Amino acid sequence: MFPLKDAVMGASTFFASALPHDVCGSNGLPLTPNSIKILGRFQILKTITHPRLCQYVDISRGKHERLVVTAEHCEKSLEDLLRERKPVSFSSILRIAYEVLQGLQYMNKHGMVHRALSPHNILLDREGHIKLAKFGLYHMTAHGVDVDFPIGYPSYLAPEVIAQGFVKPSDHTQCEKLLPSGPKSDVWSLGIILFELCVGRKLFQSLDIAEKLKLLLTLGCVDDIVTVLAEEHGCLDIIKGLPENAIALLKKFLTFQPSKRPTPDQLLCDNVFSEVASIYPCFHKPASLFSSSLRCANLTLPEDITQLCKDEDCDYLAERSIEEVYYLWCLAGGDLEKELVNKEIIRSKPPICTLPNFLFEDGESFGRGRDRSSLLDDTTVILSLCQLRNRLKDVGGEAFYPLLEDEQSNLPHSNSNNELSAAANLPLIIRERDTEYQLHRIVLFDRLLKAYPYKKNQVWKEARVDIPPLMRGLTWAALLGVEGAIQTKYDAIDKDTPIPTDRQIEVDIPRCHQYDELLSSPEGHAKFRRVLKAWVVSHPDLVYWQGLDSLCAPFLYLNFNNEALAYACMSAFIPKYLYNFFLKDNSHVIQEYLTVFSQMIAFHDPELSNHLNEIGFIPDLYAIPWFLTMFTHVFPLHKIFHLWDTLLLGNSSFPFCIGVAILQQLRDRLLANGFNECILLFSDLPEIDIERCVRESVNLFCWTPKSATYRQHAQPPKQASDGSGSRDSMSCFTADYQDAPKSDLSRDSIQLNDLKAEVSPRISAEDLIDLCELTGPSHFKTPTKKTKSSKPKLLVVDIRNSEDFNRGHISGSINIPFGSAFTAEGELIQCPATATLQSFKGRVVVILGHVVKNTACFAAHLVQIKYPRVCILDGGINKIKPTGLLTVPSPQI
Amino acid sequence: MHQLANAWAKAYTETTLEHARPEEPSWDEDFADVYHDLIHSPASETLLNLEHNYFVSISELINERDVELKKLRERQGAEMDKVMQELGKSLTDQDVNALAAQHFESQQVLENKWTSELKQSTAIQKQEYQEWVIKLHQDLKNPNNSSISEEIKVQPSQLRESVEGNGRIYEEQRQLEESFTIHLGAQLKTMHNLRLLRADILDFCKHKRNHRSGVKLHRLQTALSLYSTSLCGLVLLVDNRISSYSGIKRDFATVCQECTDFHFPGIQEQLEIVQQVVLYARAQRSSKSKRQHDSVNRNGGNEEKSKNIERNQSNILPGEFYITRHSNLSEIHVAFHLCVDDNVRSGNITARDPAIMGLRNILKVCCTHDITTISIPLLLVHDMSEEMTIPWCLKRAELVFKCVKGFMMENGFMGCEEFLGPYNFWYLQTISEEMFYQLSNMLPQIFRVSSTLTLTSKH
Repeated sequence: MFPLKDAVMGASTFFASALPHDVCGSNGLPLTPNSIKILGRFQILKTITHPRLCQYVDISRGKHERLVVTAEHCEKSLEDLLRERKPVSFSSILRIAYEVLQGLQYMNKHGMVHRALSPHNILLDREGHIKLAKFGLYHMTAHGVDVDFPIGYPSYLAPEVIAQGFVKPSDHTQCEKLLPSGPKSDVWSLGIILFELCVGRKLFQSLDIAEKLKLLLTLGCVDDIVTVLAEEHGCLDIIKGLPENAIALLKKFLTFQPSKRPTPDQLLCDNVFSEVASIYPCFHKPASLFSSSLRCANLTLPEDITQLCKDEDCDYLAERSIEEVYYLWCLAGGDLEKELVNKEIIRSKPPICTLPNFLFEDGESFGRGRDRSSLLDDTTVILSLCQLRNRLKDVGGEAFYPLLEDEQSNLPHSNSNNELSAAANLPLIIRERDTEYQLHRIVLFDRLLKAYPYKKNQVWKEARVDIPPLMRGLTWAALLGVEGAIQTKYDAIDKDTPIPTDRQIEVDIPRCHQYDELLSSPEGHAKFRRVLKAWVVSHPDLVYWQGLDSLCAPFLYLNFNNEALAYACMSAFIPKYLYNFFLKDNSHVIQEYLTVFSQMIAFHDPELSNHLNEIGFIPDLYAIPWFLTMFTHVFPLHKIFHLWDTLLLGNSSFPFCIGVAILQQLRDRLLANGFNECILLFSDLPEIDIERCVRESVNLFCWTPKSATYRQHAQPPKQASDGSGSRDSMSCFTADYQDAPKSDLSRDSIQLNDLKAEVSPRISAEDLIDLCELTGPSHFKTPTKKTKSSKPKLLVVDIRNSEDFNRGHISGSINIPFGSAFTAEGELIQCPATATLQSFKGRVVVILGHVVKNTACFAAHLVQIKYPRVCILDGGINKIKPTGLLTVPSPQI
Repeated sequence: MHQLANAWAKAYTETTLEHARPEEPSWDEDFADVYHDLIHSPASETLLNLEHNYFVSISELINERDVELKKLRERQGAEMDKVMQELGKSLTDQDVNALAAQHFESQQVLENKWTSELKQSTAIQKQEYQEWVIKLHQDLKNPNNSSISEEIKVQPSQLRESVEGNGRIYEEQRQLEESFTIHLGAQLKTMHNLRLLRADILDFCKHKRNHRSGVKLHRLQTALSLYSTSLCGLVLLVDNRISSYSGIKRDFATVCQECTDFHFPGIQEQLEIVQQVVLYARAQRSSKSKRQHDSVNRNGGNEEKSKNIERNQSNILPGEFYITRHSNLSEIHVAFHLCVDDNVRSGNITARDPAIMGLRNILKVCCTHDITTISIPLLLVHDMSEEMTIPWCLKRAELVFKCVKGFMMENGFMGCEEFLGPYNFWYLQTISEEMFYQLSNMLPQIFRVSSTLTLTSKH
């Protein structure tokens, strides 16, 4: 999008037509409200950017099918020119015509028709250039089907439009579909407007609507429409005084037969414009982040660089894109409905005065006339930026142009710096509502993402603080490492040929996050279908499992106008977090995953684990949809965003911690209940505090040795060819355990049955060495600040018999021989060593021994008596022996 | 071509403000604005007191009427007794009949007299009130004239004194109630409030004569929200006649007439309007269905329906409902009169029953017209009979709970997320307390009750 510059934002409102009573869709589900259909269709308009068109910014739904559209606006329009009641010079008419045609041509290229051209919809910006307003109304309302009012203005309707008639939208039974208008209808409308400008007065002013339309239809019988119109309005001499080519041009515009009327495209090539055309450079849409063309291709520096630094006190806000300004305007307390109410565009009656008297059983109501407040008033209200500018008046220019090189201080050095760092400590919800803070973040991310992938590391670093909602789509793509010509790739996938999965996709989409306006719109459904099909087709070894739709939802929502990016993100996400989950036979992958998950529950919350095992409430019963959809099936989108903001920074074992964190929030209720209640509880998951969930899962993650979540079926290590350099700076939090180079001390894969038999997770010798800091400084970095205390985090319990222990052991470990550790009731037998163990309760306890069975059994006993964070050393003492880290205690005297 | 142009012209005039006919100023809406302003100003107390005073005078009239009617009846009864003793001796059957007729006539005359008197005083009150409100509003707008605002400050205490003393004390019955906060929706959850209470339906409507502060607050609350976007509604179950002659309809009308409605037409007038609307609606329907008959082959279902209509045009069918608006009831603004037949007394109604469909439409209207609180008779009956056993009640309550849940979710889907207000399920007072607890236990099984916040001490 272009910078705002000196444009203003305007809002206008209209009502979508109400649905008929008690009609169901063909799939038996309720019909989609028309306002949602419009909202879905609107989205593409945001991507239509052209200097001759008003940039669309946003659409929002109000009560009772009201829609409010925000778009770029200008205060002056051709209406003002006409009001002067003076003929406009031919040269400026040529310019106006050319500019309007440029706008129309660009729209036509995107398959859109204006249909509502009128002098007050052709705006003039400060420099006197044309900007077309309301150009998307005909498109977003499905050619006027979804609204009650006709689109277009009586005086400017083309004859073929009038001849089609106006089908009352209330007659939904009538399936007669009107053909949508084509680009040539706009040419007629423009012709009438140009005629009006030529003669300096409006046409058909004295006639009522029906007469106007009849007159327009009768024009088909006359030879020379221009002359007849001029005679009709008593301005024949003005027309006669026009140059020859002007009249010829008007005649071309006002050709009665659409088949003979030229299109905007053809008109632009007309000779009459040859002089004007040379002034206008060809328009190129700036390349977007993931485009295949070179983003810097058209970048030129001015000869004199000092010119760039000249304007000292320029308006920095105006240099931001209109989308960002609107976002900030909303944050700064902007309220569209309130603005419209203040200008009396929205006038609502008290609802008690509009109640009907009587309703039939099928819902048809009687006794109340049409509510006048629902009539169309297409006035555009200008949104004042005063409040926003006032809010941002203390923000210095540095904030708008942060320096990215300085790794040390990314925060700008403005007066608000202190406030800003204070804001950074506030809860996320508050930060996302803070205008100033968001401004800083948006500017920073905007710049970082423009420099992606070069600035990838810094994107990671900043994303760890938080991700501004406005930039989330692109930021996620950057975090997932999406690169390359994604559009070309996506276009190359066949999304049309029917495949067997279509049926299932068709069933799932109308049930996926349908509370959301975007995703429940028909446009959203179509996009869902294409992205899902693209994924299924392009991954022949994998299949569509129910849940893939939910997984697709957040990506599609964030990249609604960029399906290719949604597809690319999803394709990058699945192998990272859900490797092989979508195999046709995925049972081994899922079984292993769930077993590791139950080990994680035992590791972090032994009491809960004991209870759940006791009542037989195993993860298979509830956790499959959690992990298969990465929680997108259980949470609403706004919670998924916050969860995934962190998830995407974590490695593939982070989801385990999220799962445990969710269980912990429901801990009390789970502990208090039996099997049936638990099933009921999870069938409709209660509200989860997501910020707490994120915080706790990060905490859990930090306590988890990274090899504890080792999975045999995880994604095999990638070939270290791709950007191994960039990985260096990332902490263990982000790197996958699987990705680390494999050594003798790493974990070996074990059979699923063996894994299932063990309550506690195994950790690798490497981890043990790391954690005990046997070899110098620890690598156990946390994503947050490193909180390394001098106290050991962990206790090694050696369960071999004491002779073996004395022959050599890990320094700091204690010896509790397996045979003499527990009483028959499963209690620990009191002795100095067990006392030490008790004092270490709450830290990580690593069980080490000869025989795998014994260690596992010992660990299970400890879990039974509610010892948290118990794990077993994979491979036992034999793994440690070759390292030479065992020490022999000096005999005590 | 003529038709074509006219169709366009009609479309423009009906849908766009620019071409629409200018709005005729509506007294109702202007008054609504004025009242809404006033009730949200310091003058609200005065307004309420004035309303209450009017109410007291009306109820005095009603009292007088009742006393006089009672006296008349007693006198007539005595006379009749005398006559009966004389029957066969000096008087014939004819004489007795004549006397009875005369008695009836004089009763009618007296009743008519009172009715017209009541009507008249109501009309006077209404006019006075409306004029006063407009004047007060003008005065308040005009700051020079402060006499009224001072008056406002003085008035209340005087008024209150006159109120004290008279009036029967309303008999408070034990009201059982329990509130629930529930969540609806699979992923995105919306919160709603439900309240289960055992009460007499007219408790929502009746004004209490003794002017206690709590009651007054209720009244103020109702007055404040009258022209707002959070209205309160009530579902009444009625038979197929639009009248106020019998049963719940009469009781409701009596309560409505206890106090002048200063904003809307009286109940009788509203019912007359409804009758006309129903006739009009039926006519529309039959002409429409005729048109369909002409084009489509006749099928059995339609015929049956047209037969139904032929029976009596002015009667309404089960599942249909009419709406009346009130400003003079204590806790509600809108009454939905839902037509039900004897079917609801049977044990086996389903979710497709007309009564349930009517309920669905009522909730839809609530959604589109910002009625945020609605009270629903949980068992879909107003009085209990023997066949309504405990299992019957439980079954019925379950059906209504489940259906309402479905409709709430449907409305959420239709884009009425802001519909969060309390739903009241009330049911008859004749039901035992035990029943109440059974029902309140059932509710959390059907609705997902929001989790309670457990406060635990940190270790």
